[in-house]
Amino acid sequence: MTKPQFTISCRKVWKIFGPNPGAVRPLLDQGLSRAEILAQTGHVIAVRDVSFDVRAGEIFVVMGLSGSGKSTLIRCLSRLIEPTEGEIVVNGQNVVDFDAAQLRELRRHKMSMVFQRFGLFPHRTILDNVAYGLEIQGLKKEQRHAQARQVLEMVGLKSWENYYPHELSGGMQQRVGLARALAVDPEILLCDEPFSALDPLIRREMQDELLRLQKTLNKTIVFITHDFLEALKLGHHIAIMKDGEIVQLGRPEEIVAHPVNDYVREFTRDVPRIKIITAKTIMTVAATDAGGNHVTVHADTTLEKLIGLTAVSPDALAVLDDTGCVIGMVDRTAVLQALSEGN
Amino acid sequence: MSRTIKNKRPYLLLGLGLLVALLLVHHFVLNLNLFPEAWDVRLREPLDAFKQWSIRNQTTHPIFLYFFEPISDGIDFALRRAEAFLLWLPWPVLVTAVFLTAQKAGNLRLALLTSFCLLFMGLVGLWPESMQTVALMTVSVLITLLIGIPLGIWAGRNARVERGLRPFLDAMQTMPAFVYLLPLVLFFSYGRVPSAIATIIYALPPAIRLTTLGIREVDKETVEAARSFGATPRQILFKVQLPLALPSIMAGVNQTIMMALGIVVIAAIIGAAGLGGIVLDGLRSLRVGLALEAGLAIVFLAVLLDRLSEAIAVRNRTGVVVANGRLFPKSWQTNRLIIRLEASLEWLYQSGGKLLARLAGLSHSDFVTRHAYLFASLLLLGALIWLGRALEWTTFPETWQLSLQDPVDTAVLWVRDNWFEFEWGPFLLGTRPFSNFVILNLLDPIDAFFQEFLSWPALIVGVALLGYWAAGWRLALGGAAVLFGLGLLGMWELALVTLSQVIVAVFFSLIIALPLGVWAAKSDRVTAVLRPILDFLQTIPAFVYLVPVVMLFNVGRVPGIMASVLYALPPAIRLTNLGIRQASPEAVEAALAFGSTSRQLLFKVQLPLALPSIMTGINQTVMMVLAMVVVAGMVGGAGLGLEAVNGLFRNQLGQGIEAGLAIVILAVVIDRLLLASAARTSVGR
Repeated sequence: MTKPQFTISCRKVWKIFGPNPGAVRPLLDQGLSRAEILAQTGHVIAVRDVSFDVRAGEIFVVMGLSGSGKSTLIRCLSRLIEPTEGEIVVNGQNVVDFDAAQLRELRRHKMSMVFQRFGLFPHRTILDNVAYGLEIQGLKKEQRHAQARQVLEMVGLKSWENYYPHELSGGMQQRVGLARALAVDPEILLCDEPFSALDPLIRREMQDELLRLQKTLNKTIVFITHDFLEALKLGHHIAIMKDGEIVQLGRPEEIVAHPVNDYVREFTRDVPRIKIITAKTIMTVAATDAGGNHVTVHADTTLEKLIGLTAVSPDALAVLDDTGCVIGMVDRTAVLQALSEGN
Repeated sequence: MSRTIKNKRPYLLLGLGLLVALLLVHHFVLNLNLFPEAWDVRLREPLDAFKQWSIRNQTTHPIFLYFFEPISDGIDFALRRAEAFLLWLPWPVLVTAVFLTAQKAGNLRLALLTSFCLLFMGLVGLWPESMQTVALMTVSVLITLLIGIPLGIWAGRNARVERGLRPFLDAMQTMPAFVYLLPLVLFFSYGRVPSAIATIIYALPPAIRLTTLGIREVDKETVEAARSFGATPRQILFKVQLPLALPSIMAGVNQTIMMALGIVVIAAIIGAAGLGGIVLDGLRSLRVGLALEAGLAIVFLAVLLDRLSEAIAVRNRTGVVVANGRLFPKSWQTNRLIIRLEASLEWLYQSGGKLLARLAGLSHSDFVTRHAYLFASLLLLGALIWLGRALEWTTFPETWQLSLQDPVDTAVLWVRDNWFEFEWGPFLLGTRPFSNFVILNLLDPIDAFFQEFLSWPALIVGVALLGYWAAGWRLALGGAAVLFGLGLLGMWELALVTLSQVIVAVFFSLIIALPLGVWAAKSDRVTAVLRPILDFLQTIPAFVYLVPVVMLFNVGRVPGIMASVLYALPPAIRLTNLGIRQASPEAVEAALAFGSTSRQLLFKVQLPLALPSIMTGINQTVMMVLAMVVVAGMVGGAGLGLEAVNGLFRNQLGQGIEAGLAIVILAVVIDRLLLASAARTSVGR
């Protein structure tokens, strides 16, 4: 098995806000809680010993409620906020060691960011907003405008280039934010709750748009959200944060099927489990040649479909992987158990 | 909260006991009326000695040779150049330049208004004096902005710099304008240079503050977005922060200009010539007509500078200007004739613009085409300069001039004969009986209360008690110590005379302003009527109020008070109106839903909610009245103001500076006490 290609690897990243972050660690070792440390020393532990890997070309979602440290974490990746401790390796280089010039280089060419409240420049036209990243790279006007127009067309705002941000609706403004980030053709896209400020219908539309762009452009995306359903819809992997720590990290269906604690279970409560859980997660691993006259299903078959199949099949179903090998079995009991866990 | 009150109670009672004891001693044992003269530190002597020393050493001592002299020479050079240039320009050039700028920045109405304002100065025969004032203004404002904007940017980007600057800016803004003038005379002698420097110091805070504010208020996420794309700090400043801060910076420029004008005319008392000098001469020799002409010229200059700089600022803010051909107010747009007239003006303007664009297109230069208006204006002005020089239009044609002096002086005499005193039935009416009434029933009793009933130690203890109740030990001790300083300066008595005038002026201001403010808040129509009047009153430099007041009241303490009232009215009215209007709409709605009458609504909901805003208004009123103390001194308002003015006129600088310091002490103590009391009473809000 080849080692997966990680675009971003975070190792033991900490962010502690306050005048003397070094003084906080001993207190933590003594077992004081986050709230106690805030009360005693005025330090806020925003990110606490976080490690994760982002594979090239995937959407990695960090999900958490407000105050969980997710926005701080994403800002640490491009050092808009300086991490207190830890390693952030991007394409094999530790960003924490970068000097100002290297950091600018990283921000100008490798990573760009989409903001929750769009962060558009109110004094610039849509075109000049999108061209901003290219402008500060030093591109000539014609060139950057041409490039910006292409990206605007891609997000469907071709005819709006001479308008100002406040003349556009929220959804359109965030398309501009997305276009601005894509205009510099970065390898990595950092999205800080980009759709939270939008109406539900527009939000769904924008999520589909992001998935479409991701498929065609194949960017690596780190996506922050407080919406669990959004995380499930977009994420290849999801990290759930609470009080600055990652409480669970895994594929969407793993988290839905096996929440590690009540905190995570609470989120999964409203999830339409039958659409998320697949045969792979509820099967019992079985010998490869247990088959014979069993009905076979693919590992990615959803619970929704399994209900119907097990209902009519007296025996357990054989679960096949991509190569057609049997990797496990699913019977009625497993299906019914998976259904009942949700309630 | 109640706990701290309980904690404070024993000390408050102790202080109260001390106060009563002091009063008993004062009334039955030992008269404590006068602050002991032996304690006077006689600061005026070293100050006067220093003045003598500085006069003797002006040409020899290195601090003058290498520090004050170069500054002085540099500013003097710039002033001379600016003045010579303005007088060299044929007068129609300046009028046309103002017209064209106003036309571009605003509309036809603004252009006509501003060019008339400028013309007026020539019409009353004050063109050269006006140009002197304009030159002093221009140089001072430019220097102010050159210092203020970079400092403001620095403070906007660096919190530590801002924290360091803040106390200085606060102090500069609490001090009455006039107080700067006196010490500057020590170093720069009399004349235009100290006036320019005083103006720069006075006008600096808004330039710095509003620049800092503008930079600070740029949305954090916007700056972060720029940073996330790898912008350098310089790129962030020039491409994001500065463009977005521009409206605020332009508002700062407007305020700087208006504050500078205010002090440039007052600076007449230290020998800055120009319009202020004429007003002063007119007032001192009681040639009211002359003073009125110059006063009006100042008013018109103020209107011109204010409206023009505001139009430019607004244009910068929105980036779009509609209807440059507009001449009449919008509310007149119902009249068919006016609509037609406006339409044809707009058409003229549009086709003129098209023609201009076509002509500029002939140059085949993108730059020229884009700035066609600018180039056409420059060509026109160049031609006017050439023509004007050739035909010697340098001085304003005498035949055009019309003097207001004779009719005004006649009117003043008539007022004096008919309004100063007249009988109406059994009553003696007019301004003189009014003045006498105010003096006998308000000023003198208040003064006597402080001076004779309370005695000086009791007053100091009283202030300390108030300070302790409102804030704590620091304010109590600080207030008492500073007040004691008044006595050490030998200014105790005069300060109390001034205090009584301040109290009466504030009283008059508030009994006019509060009801007007409430009325304006209740009625949109009243607000609409008041707005232009208040705008106008706030545009006029304080000094100018003296002219009509002297016309009506002659000289003395009461006219000084009346001028202060006029000056202090607008903010009190505005803040009362604003406070009531901004009272939470939900609270108002809730009160109405419970069936409150409009009276109940006002007294039970709106006024209590507006209290913080009203308290701010009262504080501002007091500070503005204090700022007027010296100006009031010029028309015989007794006390510290008169002392400061006399110090200058009679060349007793030491005494003047003592009086100035005493005014600052009064201002600081009253300001802190009021703010602390306001904060104390609004706790729990």
